[in-house]
Amino acid sequence: MSRQPETGSRGPETGSRGARPAGYYRLARAVLYREAVLFVRYPANAIGGVVIAVFFFGVLFYGGRMVAGRALTDSIEGIIVGYFLWTLSVGAYSAISNDIGSEVQWGTLERHVMTPFGFAPVALLKGVAKLVRTFLTSGIILGVMLAVTGTTLELNVITIVIVAGLSITSVLGLGFAAGGITLLYKRIGNWLNLLQFGFVVLVSAPSLDVGWLRVLPLAHGSGLLQRAMVDGTRIWEFSITDLGLLVAVAVGYLGAGYVVFQYATRRARRLGVLGDY
Amino acid sequence: MATREERSTDAAAESDPAADGDGADPVADAPDSSETETDRRGVGAAEPAPVGPTADVPAVAVSGLSKRFGSGPDAVTAVDDVSVEIEAGSVVGLLGPNGAGKTTLIKSILGMVLPDEGSVRLHGIDVREEPRAAYAHVDAMLEGARNDYWRLTVRENLRYFAAVGGVDPDSVAERHDRLLDRFGLESKVDTPVRNLSRGMKQKVSLASVLAGGADVVFLDEPTLGLDVESSRTLRAELRRIAEERGLTVVVSSHDMDVVEAVCDRVLILADGRIVADDSVEALLADNGRHSLLIASRDLSPAVVADLRRDFEVAGVDDGGGRTRIEVAADSDDVYALMRRLREHGVTLDGLDTIEPDLEDVFVDLTRDREGSR
Repeated sequence: MSRQPETGSRGPETGSRGARPAGYYRLARAVLYREAVLFVRYPANAIGGVVIAVFFFGVLFYGGRMVAGRALTDSIEGIIVGYFLWTLSVGAYSAISNDIGSEVQWGTLERHVMTPFGFAPVALLKGVAKLVRTFLTSGIILGVMLAVTGTTLELNVITIVIVAGLSITSVLGLGFAAGGITLLYKRIGNWLNLLQFGFVVLVSAPSLDVGWLRVLPLAHGSGLLQRAMVDGTRIWEFSITDLGLLVAVAVGYLGAGYVVFQYATRRARRLGVLGDY
Repeated sequence: MATREERSTDAAAESDPAADGDGADPVADAPDSSETETDRRGVGAAEPAPVGPTADVPAVAVSGLSKRFGSGPDAVTAVDDVSVEIEAGSVVGLLGPNGAGKTTLIKSILGMVLPDEGSVRLHGIDVREEPRAAYAHVDAMLEGARNDYWRLTVRENLRYFAAVGGVDPDSVAERHDRLLDRFGLESKVDTPVRNLSRGMKQKVSLASVLAGGADVVFLDEPTLGLDVESSRTLRAELRRIAEERGLTVVVSSHDMDVVEAVCDRVLILADGRIVADDSVEALLADNGRHSLLIASRDLSPAVVADLRRDFEVAGVDDGGGRTRIEVAADSDDVYALMRRLREHGVTLDGLDTIEPDLEDVFVDLTRDREGSR
């Protein structure tokens, strides 16, 4: 990144010696700083999310134990891993889709679109920031779940971050697609949020038994994450095929979602509804 | 002034990450004190034509722009074959009744609405062909106070939108201080925007548009909802900043006072077409009509009816034992009117002239078209 010295010019109202250009590094700093500020300044959303997630897990665990007894206890490790991945997925999905809807609602989307960078890099950076945030909150949820159930799991951080990260990258693609649909149809966000419950199906899909399920978002990653956290498989112990498929699914869905978003943005501009809410 | 072509050549040797995305190149050349800071915004495409803020290239050039919504018999033509050029450094007002197509025109110019026909060039850069390079020159306040992040503080907004607009916020910190000072926001810099009044939010919004490096600024209803004092401050500062920085400003507003006070030139839009394009003074001279306000106890209904036959009597008001009428009258009409009043034996109790203003011109020009619908 080149940096130019401050140079001459500009009006007396500035008193400055000119403006330096900002590249993607500066853009990333600005977007990530904003996300960090909002996270620290308004923690209620994050805390609320953790409390609700833990509450539902408590209902699931204690309620299930009352109904299913030992059967549930025997499979609790798988349930915890699945729930952990589900909370990550929901966080990643809503980070993108709800955020695009919010930008429309706030009237800031068009401002981003008409910048030298465009909105897509901003949305991606925000997605990355919210992934980090989601990992933090889901990590807390995971810790509470382990404490409540007295369960131990293999917690190889590198393996978990890579496998879970790639798994939910495919969900980011779904978030982009949902955000694009929101651009066109506006107040449809609540309906699209219902898709989050579909993630439960994907996370629990028997991808090891039914091969084609592995190309769906989350399904293959969920299987690998189970192996990593329950069986203690390390990232380098997975086969190239498994890792390749994980990457391909992640990139494929992210790319497809991005294409849908770009198409929807263009269509919204043609219909004149980009900034309407 | 270095051309963009020259700067882009230099920029190609730089390793600015901005060069990696969206087909855009950084404009990170050797400094030239004669450039505007906008020239050096971080991202802009390299294009062969000599473009950028130069005297001989219009800041905004619109050619044959049309936009229709819907299809078949229900289709609505929001912008109808609009062509206009706006020279750099001018402040242009865009007036029109509701539904005239002002917002659609602005959004079409900015590429937020894709036009069906026509082209737009900002400083010589085609918005459709090279949007990223064109957007390096432009910013807009399209949503009033809804243009910012309300949960960020005032200063955080200015810094954020400067960076997103391609300008290192540290390098324009002094400008931000000065803007905040001018808009009376210096004591609110660390206050989240959500905690400010409507007027202050509007000021923050405008300040954030001016905080980056844009040299073409579009403002859609910048004073909407503001009290008189805030509106006055805002338009005074807008004019001053525009002059000092050589900004090109396009202001869409229903507030005639704003347009009259701030703009060098006025475009009046009706049914998606430009029906008038001139300076405020020329519009008033060509289209404005002077009126006489006459008060007399002798203005009986019969006299008023007689006057109506040959003069345009705009208003009649009875009260306080006398009648007041407003008669549209150019200088030639005044003598004839006085003669007629004298023939009727009318003794004048009061006589005032009413100067035409932009609102009258606007109403006249757009009323004709309303009537022809």
